[in-house]
Amino acid sequence: MSHIAPIPREAITDPEMIELIAQSEKLGMPDDLFPRIIARTPEQAKPLMRALLLSHAQGNVDHRLKEIIRVLLARFANDKYFAALRSRKAQDMGLTEARIDAGCCEYETDASFTEAEKWALRYADQMFLDATKIDAAFYNELKKHYSEPQIMELGAFIAFHYGMQMFMRSIGAAAPKNLG
Amino acid sequence: MRYSELMATDPDKVDAAFFDELRKYYSDDEIVELGAFIGFNLGYHTFFGSLKFYPLFSPDGRLLTQAESEELYGAAPKSLSSSEAAE
Repeated sequence: MSHIAPIPREAITDPEMIELIAQSEKLGMPDDLFPRIIARTPEQAKPLMRALLLSHAQGNVDHRLKEIIRVLLARFANDKYFAALRSRKAQDMGLTEARIDAGCCEYETDASFTEAEKWALRYADQMFLDATKIDAAFYNELKKHYSEPQIMELGAFIAFHYGMQMFMRSIGAAAPKNLG
Repeated sequence: MRYSELMATDPDKVDAAFFDELRKYYSDDEIVELGAFIGFNLGYHTFFGSLKFYPLFSPDGRLLTQAESEELYGAAPKSLSSSEAAE
């Protein structure tokens, strides 16, 4: 039981918010707990949901890689809620639990990850572990594998999802019981 | 202020007792507003910090290049209203 109770689903009547929840349920990330909590502040909830969905499921960086990064960050944040959720889109694209675990733990020595994927994972790994390591030399390496728009997409994705994960951890949100 | 500080530095201390204290001053809706705002800023300030962005303007309103701004504001973040920043 989280420290903050979600509002009932039927209390959400804003059409755009209802549509955003439908999109997130189709994706599988997030389920309706996150939107039912942030819907306590309706004007803030919609941009947060838009950003969550857009940054994760759209853009020009491989969605499977972003899903691995999202889980890596949630585990680092010790956020049981977001760490338990999975993107159905990524699963449909072939992403497995074994691949996610490898990306979260052993990517440096796993030859199945490309150098580009390893640099993206290092970017997420170091951002909240030791941001001083993400210096000009680090960005020069990233630029060998990604365009500047892709780096901004990755950085903003990492920052936003980690922030929401730390928020959900702070309110004690538990892992969903029924994961399909 | 404690909520923002602890979410970043020691989130284990943001527990049920902490929320009981918060509720003496804020409604649950306000706590959600605060918490999501803090989380957003926690993520983005770290990201933007890694990009080495500096303020575009000097404390007296002059437009600066990033190199000039870095020289003026230095490596450590300072508030625009800080008297140190103006030195």
